[in-house]
Amino acid sequence: MSAERTGVSLVRRTMLGLQPSRSGWQIAGMSAVAVVIVGALSTLLISSTGSSPTAALHALYTGSIASQAAWTTTLLYAAPLLIVAAGSCISSRSGAFNIGQEGQVLIGALAVAAVTLKLQLAGWALLVIGICVAALAGGFWAWLSSLMYRISGVNIVVSTLLMTFVAQQLISYAVNTSWFLQEPSVAGIAPLPESKQIATGSQLRSFGSYPNLQLSVGLILALALTVAVAVTMTRTRWGFRLKMVGLNPLTARHAGVRVAALGGLALAISGAFAGIAGAVLLTSPVGNFRLQPGVSSNIGWDGLLVALVARNRPIVAVPFALLFGILRSGGNFLSSTGVPPFLVDVVKGLLVLAFVAPPALADILKRRAATRRASASGRHAPALQGAAA
Amino acid sequence: MSFVDNTSTILSSGVRLTVPLAFAACGEYLAERAGTLNISVEAMMLGGAFASVATASATGSATIGLFAGAIVGLVVAVVHANLSHRAEINTFVVGLVLNSVVLGLTSFLIATSRFASHQVSQVSIPGLRDIPMVGDALFVERWPVYLLIIVIPLTWWLVERSRWGLELRAVGENPQAADGTGIPVNRRRRQALMWCGLLSGFGGAYLATAEVGSFNANMTAGRGYIVIAAVIFGAWRLGRSMVGCMLFGLADAMRLALPALGITLNVQFLIAVPYLLALLAMLIFATQHREPKALGQPFERGSS
Amino acid sequence: MDSSVPAIELRGITKSYGSVVACDAVDLAVHQGEIHGLLGENGAGKSTLMKVLLGLVQRDAGTILHHADPVEIDSPQAAVALGLGMVHQHFSLIEPLRVWENVILGDSGRIDRIAACTQVEEVGRRYGLPIDPMARVDQLSAGERQRVELVKCLRRDPSVLILDEPTSVLTQAESIELFSVLRRVVQQENRAVILISHKLAEITAATDHVTVLRKGAVAFHSRTAETTPQELARQMVGRDVSLRAEAAALGVLPVERTSITPAAGIDAGVPAGPAALSFHSLSVQVGGVAVLDELSLDVRAGEIVGLYGVEGNGQSTLGDVLSGLIVPTSGTIELGGVAVDASGPGALQRAGLGIVPEDRHRSGVVLDMSVAENLTCKALDDISARGFLSRRKMYAIARRLTAEFNIIAPSLDAPVRSLSGGNQQRLVVARELSANPTVLVAAQPTHGLDVGAIEDMYLRLRKVASSGVAVLLISTELEEVMALCSRIAVISSGRITGVLSTGEATAERLGMLVGGIAA
Repeated sequence: MSAERTGVSLVRRTMLGLQPSRSGWQIAGMSAVAVVIVGALSTLLISSTGSSPTAALHALYTGSIASQAAWTTTLLYAAPLLIVAAGSCISSRSGAFNIGQEGQVLIGALAVAAVTLKLQLAGWALLVIGICVAALAGGFWAWLSSLMYRISGVNIVVSTLLMTFVAQQLISYAVNTSWFLQEPSVAGIAPLPESKQIATGSQLRSFGSYPNLQLSVGLILALALTVAVAVTMTRTRWGFRLKMVGLNPLTARHAGVRVAALGGLALAISGAFAGIAGAVLLTSPVGNFRLQPGVSSNIGWDGLLVALVARNRPIVAVPFALLFGILRSGGNFLSSTGVPPFLVDVVKGLLVLAFVAPPALADILKRRAATRRASASGRHAPALQGAAA
Repeated sequence: MSFVDNTSTILSSGVRLTVPLAFAACGEYLAERAGTLNISVEAMMLGGAFASVATASATGSATIGLFAGAIVGLVVAVVHANLSHRAEINTFVVGLVLNSVVLGLTSFLIATSRFASHQVSQVSIPGLRDIPMVGDALFVERWPVYLLIIVIPLTWWLVERSRWGLELRAVGENPQAADGTGIPVNRRRRQALMWCGLLSGFGGAYLATAEVGSFNANMTAGRGYIVIAAVIFGAWRLGRSMVGCMLFGLADAMRLALPALGITLNVQFLIAVPYLLALLAMLIFATQHREPKALGQPFERGSS
Repeated sequence: MDSSVPAIELRGITKSYGSVVACDAVDLAVHQGEIHGLLGENGAGKSTLMKVLLGLVQRDAGTILHHADPVEIDSPQAAVALGLGMVHQHFSLIEPLRVWENVILGDSGRIDRIAACTQVEEVGRRYGLPIDPMARVDQLSAGERQRVELVKCLRRDPSVLILDEPTSVLTQAESIELFSVLRRVVQQENRAVILISHKLAEITAATDHVTVLRKGAVAFHSRTAETTPQELARQMVGRDVSLRAEAAALGVLPVERTSITPAAGIDAGVPAGPAALSFHSLSVQVGGVAVLDELSLDVRAGEIVGLYGVEGNGQSTLGDVLSGLIVPTSGTIELGGVAVDASGPGALQRAGLGIVPEDRHRSGVVLDMSVAENLTCKALDDISARGFLSRRKMYAIARRLTAEFNIIAPSLDAPVRSLSGGNQQRLVVARELSANPTVLVAAQPTHGLDVGAIEDMYLRLRKVASSGVAVLLISTELEEVMALCSRIAVISSGRITGVLSTGEATAERLGMLVGGIAA
């Protein structure tokens, strides 16, 4: 029960503590200031390497939104990020804090690669089946954590985290094992730790052609899933129950909700979303169409961060997923200016803080003000008393 | 090579791989007893590793580098502590962000800098070093290893015997009650994190300046998470957590040594062993209520 | 030291939470060598006042004087430094730690285990509070834990000792023992004691001075010897206490069988038909201990049966079983003669059982969901079609229930957190009754309510029973069960030690049963 409560308070902190309030403007102001500070820090960092911050910014711009082709890449990144984030919203709402999306993305990618490379069917059928199996596999991976919680109360944050590293080794095994998914070696060359490329027919379609904007089916899927999550959470009976479980599991149980089953399902759904994200990633150009140990390229971690910044509101996650997509596609262009692309990771982390810290700071300020008022009145009173004596 | 030589090789490399884990695990253990499930231990180790190499290169002294690593670990801890135990931002969010920022920052900086290589010197203990099999492993080591002989009992004493440790345990079990007794809950948790930062930073620094002698991007490669796994595997007992570190260090050593010995064993499985063992340990121990009751729960006065 | 100077004095203490004023310019002066009673209903501001005094809450205005010196208490540490010690209503001990470790928690300096253990034993001997310093707190009983709390407080040699509802978990014998310890503390050692209580009998018997708080302000102050329980009750409530049940609940009426007449129409009209609710050998084991031990009881339609006992004898476990939170280890629950499998969440509710849980914040409401959502959360089928919610239907039901049950809320969208205790309780009752249950279980339904709300609750329970619903009232207030019920079942250590009709029940017989002795 205590772990359940932990989950509840976690979610409260990330969801409720951040809802618009009287101090909303103060928070928005602080976030703006924080973003400026992040900008200043990044400038400082770039300058310290002897590169030009304006050149770096221009590279970011060129790589992400300057042209239709750049937009294409940005959106290719944004789609899986958004799917992961939408799934995170569901598990967080139920009070289970899943931080293992990175592993679940990998499992999804593994599943779609296995289906598309091993089965003999029409390309589009393979793709559809692959995405479904990816969802099941990612969901199963996350559900294992819920199972461990039910068996002996294993903390869900810890188990989802550890399962990520297990997943990484599973992928590594898959692409290093010839009977599994490793691409057979060409005579005389040592085989690489990666799978074959999936057939063109099984890759996600895009509308439009280079150099114009290409809209991937993945993005459409991402938006559809996000809207579905938003509607489910606010408009359905299931979403109502989910909210109850997250905010007070005991009252939920009293009201006839199967708390453990629903919590497990929510966790599994968030895993399934991460699995779908893995499938979308692998079957689109940014995933190279093949299974490699680094195929997830932190999409899982970043998707989780998107959900955190969006305070678990799926619709709000859309612009943040886009922002993170921009940072990714732009980051690829940074190297040309001599600035290591790792800068983007720093900026991403600091941006999350810039959005998460202000509400907490506003809270502290409010409390400090209350203390000051109290001690001010406390100091005032003795003076009066002295005068009376 | 003979069996004795092989064993000796694996043992000594196992000990070396254990040392950074053990330092960090002492810190993580103490932080968890105070109720913080600190996942930024990875950031602390990585930051410490980078700082030690950079400082050693600048000062020409690997020893100064080691201590600079500990300081940077401490800095990461102070940031984490203030964000999560003062500003009350979810500690896992803070941990994820710090891990990402430190990984990005150190990778960024190493890509734009060149450092000279420095390593701390080896100390061998005459007489004992000649013991077969374990002599090389235990008695020919770089000197920081011997610091563990002080740090482990010191950590135990701090937690189990000192007033500070008693208060840490109280804070980790029941922060509301501890607060009512007059213990500054969040300050104790911040202090516990700082001890964790200091030791994790040192552990990371040891990895870089004592064993490898240089820094490369993401050089800790998830060792921080192994440390968390070790503390969980030890069911929040210091001794067993150290055994966990030893086990995981040896698994790592075997992974590196076996191919050279011509033994084929599933490498991926060996890497996954610590995580699987930690999960298994939790499945077994979680029902026995060994974990600090308030582990991972934020404290806010007045909420209960 | 000059005894005319109060050991601790509060002047004009004001504290608001948002728009709610918890304390409004409260004055309180406590002298050495006296026990000062602080009386008030739940929510009158007693707890907030003490939290201010102990540095747990920051006041908005006012002064605290310690032996006439103005002091700033901005943390629990500052309070300890001034010699203020508190024994909390809910224990503040840390369970996995040992007694001696708990006792020295909050001190400073090196730890000396042997000295600490000796001191625990020594303080225990001096005050008659024997306790093993090496015992782990989680293995102690409620009474023993309170002893540890007292020892912990007393060994710091506090000049002011504060006790918050100290008898709520104690048996009568333990309570008497406690008050004799307190008397010794003030008389022989010249300390000051603040005794917080809402029990008039306790205040009259044990204190020298009494201050009554009402709605956050001081309503009355007197030497205890110069006032009467009736006067105190009147001051606490703010008007003459007329309603019989209300007076009984406040403890104004002496607990004697002869002075209590069961409410009219209950004894007479109870049909002798089959039981609407019955337990057969209900048992719950927790960690090898039988919390409920072969409990059997019948409640017939139209009657109110009281389940009376001292807190901690299995009542909350029974409440959890009936809320569907705990699955009984063995035994059956029958509703209308049909056994119900209580293992599925909501199974009992679907079978026609409504329950007002003991701790509404824990399992009665979702504090951060709206009034409308809380009112309809057990009737999702009524407010949705094909899985989708209908806001219109939800609001229609919520509007009807808030009007019918007189629930005062800022709006239907306001979180339940923003409602007063009485309105939260009415909300739970409204929701439970809206399902037209055949059985209503009310666990400590008047805990934390003001008198108006108590009165309302009693009327509501009577009305429900007279409409043919079987009512089980789980209560620790003897007067409450005597005033409302036609039969009283006494629970002790998870067993029913006896069932008496109100006609047979005397304080003496009930006292024996509560103590586990079948009468």
